[in-house]
Amino acid sequence: MNEYDVIIIGGGATGAGTLRDCSMRGLRTVLIERSDIATGATGRNHGLLHSGARYAVTDQESARECISENQILRRIASHCVDETDGFFISLPDDDLSFQTKFVKSCQSAGIRADVIDPKEALVLEPSMNPAVTGAVRVPDGSIDPFRLTASNIRDAKTLGANVLTYHMVTELIRRQDAIVGVKILNVRTKETSELYAPIIVNACGIWGAHIAEMAGVKVSMFPAKGALLIYGHRVNKIVLNRCRKPSDADILVPGDTICLIGTTSTKVPFDTIDNMYVLPEEVEILRKGAQELSPILEKTRILRCYAGVRPLVASDNDPSGRSVSRGIVLFDHEKRDGLKGFITITGGKLMTYRLMAEQATDLVCTKLHIDKKCETATVKLPGSREDKETILKKLYSMPSAVQESMIYRHGEMAEKIATNNVVNNSLVCECEEVSYGEVSYAIDHMDVNNLIDLRRRTRLGMGTCQGEFCACRAIGILAKQKKIKPEKEKEELVTFLNERWKGIKPIAWGDSLRESQYASWVYESVCGLSKNNKDLTK
Amino acid sequence: MIFDTIIIGGGLSGLTCGIHLQKAGKRCVIISSGQSALHFSSGSFDLLNTLPDGRSVSDPVQSLDELQVQNPSHPYIKIGKTDFIRLAEKSQQLLTDASISVGGSYQRNHYRLTPFAITKPTWLTMTDYVSSDQPDSLPWKNVCLVHFTGYLDFHPDFFQGKFQELGIKVQNVELDLTKVSIRKNTPLEVRSTNIARLFDNEEALDNFVRLLAHKVGDADAVLLPACLGLERTNIVNILSRKLGVEVKLLATFPPTVSGIRAQYLLKQRFMQLGGTYMLGDTVNKVDFENNHISKIFTVNHGNIPLRGEEYVLCSGSFFSEGLVALPNDVVDPICGLDVDYISDRKEWFASDVFDQQNYESFGIRTDETFHGIKNGQAISNLHVCGASLSAFNALKEGCGGGVSMLTALYVAEDILRQKENK
Repeated sequence: MNEYDVIIIGGGATGAGTLRDCSMRGLRTVLIERSDIATGATGRNHGLLHSGARYAVTDQESARECISENQILRRIASHCVDETDGFFISLPDDDLSFQTKFVKSCQSAGIRADVIDPKEALVLEPSMNPAVTGAVRVPDGSIDPFRLTASNIRDAKTLGANVLTYHMVTELIRRQDAIVGVKILNVRTKETSELYAPIIVNACGIWGAHIAEMAGVKVSMFPAKGALLIYGHRVNKIVLNRCRKPSDADILVPGDTICLIGTTSTKVPFDTIDNMYVLPEEVEILRKGAQELSPILEKTRILRCYAGVRPLVASDNDPSGRSVSRGIVLFDHEKRDGLKGFITITGGKLMTYRLMAEQATDLVCTKLHIDKKCETATVKLPGSREDKETILKKLYSMPSAVQESMIYRHGEMAEKIATNNVVNNSLVCECEEVSYGEVSYAIDHMDVNNLIDLRRRTRLGMGTCQGEFCACRAIGILAKQKKIKPEKEKEELVTFLNERWKGIKPIAWGDSLRESQYASWVYESVCGLSKNNKDLTK
Repeated sequence: MIFDTIIIGGGLSGLTCGIHLQKAGKRCVIISSGQSALHFSSGSFDLLNTLPDGRSVSDPVQSLDELQVQNPSHPYIKIGKTDFIRLAEKSQQLLTDASISVGGSYQRNHYRLTPFAITKPTWLTMTDYVSSDQPDSLPWKNVCLVHFTGYLDFHPDFFQGKFQELGIKVQNVELDLTKVSIRKNTPLEVRSTNIARLFDNEEALDNFVRLLAHKVGDADAVLLPACLGLERTNIVNILSRKLGVEVKLLATFPPTVSGIRAQYLLKQRFMQLGGTYMLGDTVNKVDFENNHISKIFTVNHGNIPLRGEEYVLCSGSFFSEGLVALPNDVVDPICGLDVDYISDRKEWFASDVFDQQNYESFGIRTDETFHGIKNGQAISNLHVCGASLSAFNALKEGCGGGVSMLTALYVAEDILRQKENK
């Protein structure tokens, strides 16, 4: 089958959300992603469930969007959300009068903002800087972008959607004044094929500029790099923000077993966006900001660092490109450029992915003359449809460690994973308590093609050992389930270890260097893995 | 507390040094904070596999001259060729005396199979492991390759592929250990050490033999993942006798039973010779007086000092916390000795994790006889040995085991020699 109603390009949260929305409205939809899902900006941010408070002072519209989506995501994606709440704290260097303005702006955007006595705030969140002079409590939280994207995809697939990861769009097929399809390349097998649809949605974030170029239209975007550090402990249970004008390294988010500080913001050239490295000076900015929010972080191990690229879109009416929007941008290229069958949805943020998908899908429906209302704000995502007690009853005989972590990650979908025997219950990843059964399920049912994909679906290798012990266990399972050819296993491990090293190298001191030396020792010295494994098997 | 020699660190070099001194009648204490790198080794000890320029080594002694040209500060060069030969022989004897039965020779590297079934050169291999004199030549035509259900730290596929490549017929046998011993299932159940403990039980072993016996068929060897024999060191022989066929072990991912066993046997040997082994204790203060150590303090002994005539620092590299990297600095956290490292952090690492990483060669600076140096001055009663030393790359050169044992023996002899002179 190569004919669809809609083709979506881009497997981030927006693309996945649009895939689900289109599928829910009865459209035959396919999603094309050149790598794995959630590999772009979606998977490379704070994972912050914004209350909108951060934008309240500077951008009321964004603030309103955030708080509205915040409430929706708590309902529809409860298994991806951790309802931590957030503090905006003032430190001695910060102007306390900003707090008044901040609270007022929050209220006018409809965001609950309670001023709390700093002493009480310290009791509620003991990791915060004891020099705190003011604290405001807001409904921030954390959200797992991988789980969120995977859950959207999973629901869409149940509704009949098709997902092609590791497929790259090589050409947009044009007929007169319309885009009618795409030529795609399977990057793993090198096979090419063509897909056709009356509407193509460009949902590629910063990479959307390139897709627009293929269509012969111009979308002016600026790549803005944002670097983050992951600390190996969840030192705070409540999100910590600085109560001042938004700047670098002023948000500390607890997520799963870790916490992360971000971000920096630097405009970078387009040719660097596929290979983002975190620089030493960025590490220093982030460490300083983190330690100001929570001094204990000076002694906390940094697990790894990474950087994402925000798509900043230049306003159409400003040719200089200086007026940049951080809001949602939806281009109907038929109206804008006279090109039919092609729309671009970009800008925005992880928080507004659903709204972006709704807007894009609304436009798709208008074009296809389909009169169906969006229901994504009310219909819960798979994983968030049953409460924990109900799910627990179905998994009662499993070992408790496996039980807890599976429900945490997969909600009621855990029931499908569970087959209770020695093999399935054996732990592959001890840091994050990922069982054989969970790995095996993810490989078969969640579009996993390699170790790095597996990490995004299950958190395997995201804990303190960063995949040292579990990578070689998981590679065997991948081979067993025919996702990797046996002769490619070593090459796959080499790739995985290098990906891991890329995130560790900028912060490799203390325990992270210990861990790295140990990993090198195990894989290179004890196991005999080398660079050659890569070349030999090619 | 007063000892002749206080050894800080209870891994391969600390134990080697301690055993030698204890044998010579010295009263030694080893202070060990816990697991050492030895726990993670897999049945073999390397002496010298590769020269710094990447050329492979088949005869380590012959390659010493070239090593001297390429890296004159290498610990082996400090030891010198004559002592290198003597101490390599002595190391092998020391292992044998500790009931760690090893094969191999310093004169010629032989070959082991890694947990990925990759052939790698090495110096000594435990005799119950698969090894060969020539790369990729094994004596069997038909092997029975056993693996255990749910045991994820061993990949039979890797070995099967390797054996088939060598023209050896492979018969795969998967055994469910719950049939050997019915135990409560926990997700952590099927790990090396748990399996090893299971086989230390006579009844379980007999059950295993019964299950396996009729599956061996006409195989000339039964090959098992190396996760047995934690306490019963002769278990491979017992199995071999019971099955009536040769039995050999294949390396598993760490932590390895053989590594844990080697550590245990060396520690037993040291203690049988009268040594004191303080496990789970950490040195937290070292007092210096005029370029020598006067006393040290440990966490467990609080304000009671430990005094020794001689001190040996065998605290390992980064992994064992014998070296600690700060964001822009590398330090010896125990004695504060001078460390050889590159001050520009960017130079510590290469982008490809499998390229040579400069940090691997960082270590404690020593004089010609391995005395530690503090603020430029040699400490007269402190030697340093093993992975803490600078100027070698255990990973790239394949010399970790050799450097640990040879420098430890060298230092032990130096201490004894100093005594005689006094």
